[in-house]
Amino acid sequence: MQSVLATARVNRLAFGSRPFSTSLARCQAVPQQKPVLLKEFKIYRWNPDEPDKKPELQSYKIDLNQTGPMVLDALIKIKNEIDPTLTFRRSCREGICGSCAMNIDGQNTLACLCRIDRDASKNAKIYPLPHMYVVKDLVPDMTLFYKQYKSIQPWLQNSNPPEKGEFLQSPEDRRKLDGMYECILCACCSTSCPSYWWNQDEYLGPATLMQAYRWIADSRDDRAAERMDRLQNEMSLYRCHTIFNCSRTCPKGLNPAAAIAKMKLEMATD
Amino acid sequence: MMSTRALGLGSALRKAAFAPNAVRSQIMMRNIIGKRFIQIQSVTPASGTEILNAQRLKRPSSPHFTIYQPQLTWVASIANRITGAGLSVLLYGFSIAYLIAPGTFDSAHVVEVVAGLPESVKYAGKTILAAPFAFHSINGLRHLGWDLTKFLSIKSVYGTGYAVLAASAVSTAVLVFMK
Amino acid sequence: MSSSLVLRSSLPRTLTQRSVAHSVIQARYATSDAAQRFAYHPGGPILKGTVNDPTTFPPSSRAHGSHHWAFERLLSAALVPLTAAAFATSGSSYPILDGILGVSLVMHSHIGFDSVVVDYLHTRKFPVIGQIAKWGLRTATIATLVGVYQFNTNDIGLTELIAKVWTA
Repeated sequence: MQSVLATARVNRLAFGSRPFSTSLARCQAVPQQKPVLLKEFKIYRWNPDEPDKKPELQSYKIDLNQTGPMVLDALIKIKNEIDPTLTFRRSCREGICGSCAMNIDGQNTLACLCRIDRDASKNAKIYPLPHMYVVKDLVPDMTLFYKQYKSIQPWLQNSNPPEKGEFLQSPEDRRKLDGMYECILCACCSTSCPSYWWNQDEYLGPATLMQAYRWIADSRDDRAAERMDRLQNEMSLYRCHTIFNCSRTCPKGLNPAAAIAKMKLEMATD
Repeated sequence: MMSTRALGLGSALRKAAFAPNAVRSQIMMRNIIGKRFIQIQSVTPASGTEILNAQRLKRPSSPHFTIYQPQLTWVASIANRITGAGLSVLLYGFSIAYLIAPGTFDSAHVVEVVAGLPESVKYAGKTILAAPFAFHSINGLRHLGWDLTKFLSIKSVYGTGYAVLAASAVSTAVLVFMK
Repeated sequence: MSSSLVLRSSLPRTLTQRSVAHSVIQARYATSDAAQRFAYHPGGPILKGTVNDPTTFPPSSRAHGSHHWAFERLLSAALVPLTAAAFATSGSSYPILDGILGVSLVMHSHIGFDSVVVDYLHTRKFPVIGQIAKWGLRTATIATLVGVYQFNTNDIGLTELIAKVWTA
């Protein structure tokens, strides 16, 4: 309190000797001018309107000190200020919608959850999710992924519903679903999986397989046997070679590889 | 209001409302006709699918292993496959060679040829055989652990991964200098 | 007033353009080669069914599913004590061990090669090369089994050979 009074007195004293504007500025917090920190972003571009032009990396330089902390902030800044034709999916900007999944510096992740590396001497490379058909720029065609998700019938099926009220579940049974129900289907894991790269037309991939197990493991669902029987073939499940790229890359910290391993053991000992 | 917007008449009505009485009806008629002809384009569901498919055929496939970051997970996995395939090619190659020409590929001849090699080549050859064998065997144990749903967290995956690499290096050295 | 004149005079042109465009679209898609052009190829950009249809599953078969998986694991696990035993003993004095090891190693190799073929050269994607790879592998495995049997019975056996070559 005393120091505040002291500065006030100093200012009053200074009032007569200098212009009013500067003395006022001294009292206010002046935003510090940050130095320009230019970082290069190399972004995969392909335009369906010029389909014969090969996909290429386009370079953009932006000032990190005028950009938000996440890669999505950089992309939005580029789209707003440099190149409005840059195309990517985004919605929630907080890692719950799964729209902005892409390959950033070699890893699949959500652009909104991925911090920009402040080292401006290295460029950042941004590609669409690997081994997917590209609709435009960073937008992959997710149709097959969703069709596969639909194939595992991701809803509760029980021929003996409780006579009244709702399905009851013990805390232990409910706990079995933790780490699986949180999946947002961003497809980071599936498109990081080499098996999915080579055989995605038949192999379901980690995201869909974890959801398959999420319903098998649910105590309220009584179709586990049928659900497992559908996976009894060479391709749908058993193209998984426990590589762990899926769990390594999951932006939500889930573990699809563990879910698939449990499902395989359950199916073998069933 | 909703219906006029759906028909594209919104601006036409607005213009007509502010226009002098004499031209009002004229402008309104022309704008209605003009807008309606620009708006209508009927596409059957079947031809919609075909337009989509025509686009799909032009789409490039995004790059994959060339741009994916090398990680212990998939590098160890592909190494497991390569080492296993290499050793199996040797087994298949020798067995089929023995089947075709038992006189040339019998144990006495093979041992004789190997014994005649210089010492450095022997050690190099042993390393080339021992390293894949050690890695594939020990990493195989890691895989068996996973199949029993052990060590499935990412932390354990990396822990066991580095342990396998270290154990493979030690085993290779032991095998190479084994007498 | 002049703008409305332009609008009126461009009206018939718009009409004809639209009808031409429409007939072009119809002509292009009415032809029978459209079906061929948009035929389904496994792994290709054209998908089976509409976007709302789920993908389908291959016929259910435990032999290709969990039984295959379990057999592969049990075989791999069995190789652990077998390999240890082969290190600890001499092959010639234990011909049974040598025989079991020979067969199980070849089967383990065959399953490994087979998953390589299924992963990279599946017949649905490579109808010719895939078939060659599949049947070439089966032939090679049988030849190898015969060769190993011959070597184990007529010669010193696999473990003994490796031991001798190693110390040669």
